[in-house]
Amino acid sequence: MTQQKPLELILARNLMSALSTPAFLVDEGGVLVFYNEAAGALLGKRFEELGKVGAEEWGSLFGPFDENGEPIPYDDLPLVVAVRNGRPAHADFEISSIDGSRHRIEASAFPILTAHGSQGAIAVFWPAGSSNGAGH
Amino acid sequence: MKVKLWGTRGSIPSPGPETIRYGGNTSCVGVTLSDGSMLALDAGTGIRSLGLALATEPARLHILLTHLHLDHIQGLVFFAPAFRSQTEIVIWGPASPEASLRDRIARYISAPLSPVEVRELPCDVSFRHCPEAEWEIGPARIRAASVAHRGPTLGYRIDDGDSSLAYIPDHEPALGADIDALEEDWISGLGLARDASLLIHDGQYADAEYPDHIGWGHSSLSHAISFARRANAERTVLFHHDPMHSDERLDQLGREARERWAAVGGREGGIELAAEHAEYELPAHAASAASAS
Repeated sequence: MTQQKPLELILARNLMSALSTPAFLVDEGGVLVFYNEAAGALLGKRFEELGKVGAEEWGSLFGPFDENGEPIPYDDLPLVVAVRNGRPAHADFEISSIDGSRHRIEASAFPILTAHGSQGAIAVFWPAGSSNGAGH
Repeated sequence: MKVKLWGTRGSIPSPGPETIRYGGNTSCVGVTLSDGSMLALDAGTGIRSLGLALATEPARLHILLTHLHLDHIQGLVFFAPAFRSQTEIVIWGPASPEASLRDRIARYISAPLSPVEVRELPCDVSFRHCPEAEWEIGPARIRAASVAHRGPTLGYRIDDGDSSLAYIPDHEPALGADIDALEEDWISGLGLARDASLLIHDGQYADAEYPDHIGWGHSSLSHAISFARRANAERTVLFHHDPMHSDERLDQLGREARERWAAVGGREGGIELAAEHAEYELPAHAASAASAS
């Protein structure tokens, strides 16, 4: 029988699909299960081309890097903090697109908490220093 | 497993000469399991007739509520077994972070909306939040999952032997989504409905009506057909009729549903509109089709 995703993830994906703000969605296990077209434009690859990516794998696909150009540990990424600790997190860092270009962004992540516990987390991105999250 | 529709209408009871054939009572489906155990799915005004029709009083009844909108609970205080001390009633429903199921239902079964309070009901009534995992009632395995509607709302799947009933009466799986394009695990409710012997599903709006009701939590005819096709249910009954839809209008929608079902390769007799008092006997073995009377 089909194992349906939790409704909260389904609704989150539906909302994210309609947004121009780049956004990532991970499930309760930290697996990257979706990112929207705006995020795809930023990263240089649509989610449909990449497919879901396991926890601890997706971080390294796009960097991220701190202000010194050093890779940021997976455990410190806002999305990981949100899904593991069940609290919001925010950071700014650089990510690397598929074509190698670097983008400095701010990321805010928040957990998806339900009556049955944490179902995952969402992160939205803004170009660092910009006033909106449209990303273009 | 035997299934009988006691209320097929959505939103508000709509009795009258124009709704005689499909019925004016709000959501309620009676289910008799293979060992004779009795379930009621939702407690709209149709549950009053169900209570009156029980020839012998079962010692224990389970009422599975999808959500607490009034058209799904309005019949509770008119359900005759609730007023008999020898009856045990277990009411299942969705959890909410805001208040317990009992307290939320008590807002309706209390003054000034009701002449009786929950604590005054003579029956032995208890309230249980549906667990996330499958559980058993008699010979049946019950599964509940949150589905896309307004507020905490569940759909149910009941498996009894080889037969299965999926009940998702209030559902908008196409809200912000393309059902035809999404992967199966990303479609609200599909895990409950997959390969069901009988799927009872929201079909409240004609396609032309849906644009004015996006986000209200219900399906258009097209969305219901797409969902049923993706679910691969053996038989689909479109339910929760709009109170504005007369028998004549529902006849038209039924014809349209059958034509469109055939156009997408659906089996003849695989889709129909819910009519009050319709009965379905689900096959003991999945290979044979559900029969209706």
